[in-house]
Amino acid sequence: MNFLTIFARNLRQGPQTEAFPLGPAFTPERLRGRIEFNADHCEGCRICERVCPANAIRFAKTPDGMTFDCWHNTCVFCGNCEFYCPTDAIHQTNDWDLSHVNADKFEMVEHGLIPNQKCAECGATALNTAPVLKNAKPPLSDAEYAELRARCPKCRAKYLKNRKVPA
Amino acid sequence: MSTHNVPETFSIPVGPLHVALEEPMYFKIDVQGETVSHVDINAGHAHRGIEYLTTKRSMYQNVVLTERICSLCSNSHPQTFAMAAEKIAGIEVPERGIYLRSVADEMKRITSHLFNVALLVHLVGYETYFMHMMQVREIGQDMLESIFGNRQDIGAMCIGGVRYDLDDKSIAYIKGALAKIEAEVQDFIKTFKTNGAILRRTKGVGVLTHADAITCGVVGPVARASGVDYDVRREAPYAAYDRLPLVVHGATDGDVWSRAVVRLEEILTSIDILRACLRDLPDGPVNINDRPDIPPGQAVTRSEAPRGEVIYYLRTNDTPQPERVKWRVPTFMNWDGLRFMLQDAKVADIAMIVNSIDPCLSCTER
Amino acid sequence: MSRLPQDLEARLAAAAPAGVEFSAETDSYGVTVAWCGLAAAADLSPVAALLKELGARLSMITCTMPSAPEEEEEDEDDDDSEDGEEKAEAAPKETPKSFGGTPLDGTSYEIDYHFDIAGDALTVIAYVPQGGGIPSLTPLFRNADWHEREMMELYAVAVTGHPDPRRLFLDASVDGAVLERLVPFSTLVNAASTKGLWERLLAGKKGAA
Repeated sequence: MNFLTIFARNLRQGPQTEAFPLGPAFTPERLRGRIEFNADHCEGCRICERVCPANAIRFAKTPDGMTFDCWHNTCVFCGNCEFYCPTDAIHQTNDWDLSHVNADKFEMVEHGLIPNQKCAECGATALNTAPVLKNAKPPLSDAEYAELRARCPKCRAKYLKNRKVPA
Repeated sequence: MSTHNVPETFSIPVGPLHVALEEPMYFKIDVQGETVSHVDINAGHAHRGIEYLTTKRSMYQNVVLTERICSLCSNSHPQTFAMAAEKIAGIEVPERGIYLRSVADEMKRITSHLFNVALLVHLVGYETYFMHMMQVREIGQDMLESIFGNRQDIGAMCIGGVRYDLDDKSIAYIKGALAKIEAEVQDFIKTFKTNGAILRRTKGVGVLTHADAITCGVVGPVARASGVDYDVRREAPYAAYDRLPLVVHGATDGDVWSRAVVRLEEILTSIDILRACLRDLPDGPVNINDRPDIPPGQAVTRSEAPRGEVIYYLRTNDTPQPERVKWRVPTFMNWDGLRFMLQDAKVADIAMIVNSIDPCLSCTER
Repeated sequence: MSRLPQDLEARLAAAAPAGVEFSAETDSYGVTVAWCGLAAAADLSPVAALLKELGARLSMITCTMPSAPEEEEEDEDDDDSEDGEEKAEAAPKETPKSFGGTPLDGTSYEIDYHFDIAGDALTVIAYVPQGGGIPSLTPLFRNADWHEREMMELYAVAVTGHPDPRRLFLDASVDGAVLERLVPFSTLVNAASTKGLWERLLAGKKGAA
């Protein structure tokens, strides 16, 4: 029985318990933690809302634009939203410290707003969502991107169609 | 105290919440003195109605819901579910995704088996070794957390492939962790074969004969330890198992000791399979990068969870929600074997015999 | 190379005189999955006896209550589909029927018995109308016991000849046939994500904690 060897080794190495909270806790990079939403990159496709198994994500149209809310209490931290998001607008950080008192439980919401804007071409009110760039070949220059983004969905489609000028 | 000629039969309740039971199951045990004469099993303490819930969520949401049926076999459920959906829709998972599926599966198998054998040692009474085994398991759990983001619900599967990828740094990390685990597990097997306390308390205890194993239809390490040579990975291969060095371990005694040793040997095989996967990992996409609608149809798929054969029946219609999802987990089949195993056992051994079938109640009762 | 016996279809047809509907598919790994619909639910016992002779292991029993197919403007192909669930009738007004004549109107049951023969899967499908019964397989296959008990509490199917027809997971105080009833969503999710909750959530955010 070589348990004495293990015993001696354990005495040398010290306890295996993490020193937390008196020391850092083991937090790997890929840990699936708190949700972070980046309204700037959001296309407004709402796929995350559809694939969330807990129905923790909710978009709502308001006079200011489209709001995004994700309540961490219902969220199961599965990562479906991040996986299916086409533009990496929603992702999970490795922040696991979400403990809070019960009175604060309705504060555990990740909130975002995709603001309204006036279309640069036709003047209609539209959401300032990130444009869908899948069909844009060759890739847009920064100036073209800014022009595209400032338009409403109909004018964006028109812009991309008229852009088909061979280089 | 006066002695009786014929021992009286007392009925003792073990469970549903019992300090020595892993899972909340209510056993009504009739004992005569210290010997068990009859067992009645009363289930239902963790029934959550997940079968109904799956019909209310779309296929993509169900991949996550099925994972939460159980945490120890948590990868087998979404994998088999995704396999069924892919079979109906005719989706082919890319090669790299197939290998990564086996990688996730085998990693879960290692930690699940370590958990069960560690608990067995705890129930034997050898507390220090239990702590040591759990510490070795922590190497595996840290590996899961670093690669997948969570220690139990790894979220590796999706319909059409896997959701994670491995780069050179992760592969090197996994290989280092596997080397550490392998050395320790070889030591565990040696201990199991030589340590007096473990041998005296587990050899010849809770025997399930070969004939009874076939009658009860038990699956997994419980069946293999009773001489039933059946492993889904070999009989009905899926993922990458038709090209991996799979060795099916069995024993003939069918007692608690054999089951534990079969599980420990399976850990070593899992480590070999993992190394082969990492060595042969092809390049390419890990999933189909699409969210197709699953057409109406039905499919039956099976896979080998750490506890045995898990079978899924999926039936879809025109809506995004499935019409019916039904699954039968290995523990569901193995509870019945307890009736034979606990026959003429001592009361002190009840907890150990129940633990040896590796019960997973949340799987059984969904 | 299938591990199912070559003459399986013929032997099944011989054991089930009312008729069988057999199909099989082999995937790229060489695993065969076979389906066998029975025209008469009473044929289940002789078929199960045959399978026991062949050394099959009962893997799972699934009970479904398939919903009535939606009325289509044009009929689907008149041949039996691979799964053998419904035959499109010539006159669209008549109720479509499953193989063997059980009405497919959302009240009948389809009970699948999944067997495993040395690695290949064979599913035997029995169709039972509302209020009907099916013989128990427990005398032949001991591990059908829990499956049939569960089936009886989830659906209103009578399994005749079961040695121990107690409830399995649900308490006796719960009404039976659970999966046949509609449970309100808020009850189901324990009010975890209903509209009322969201309103409270968004209101609670705006106010001071």
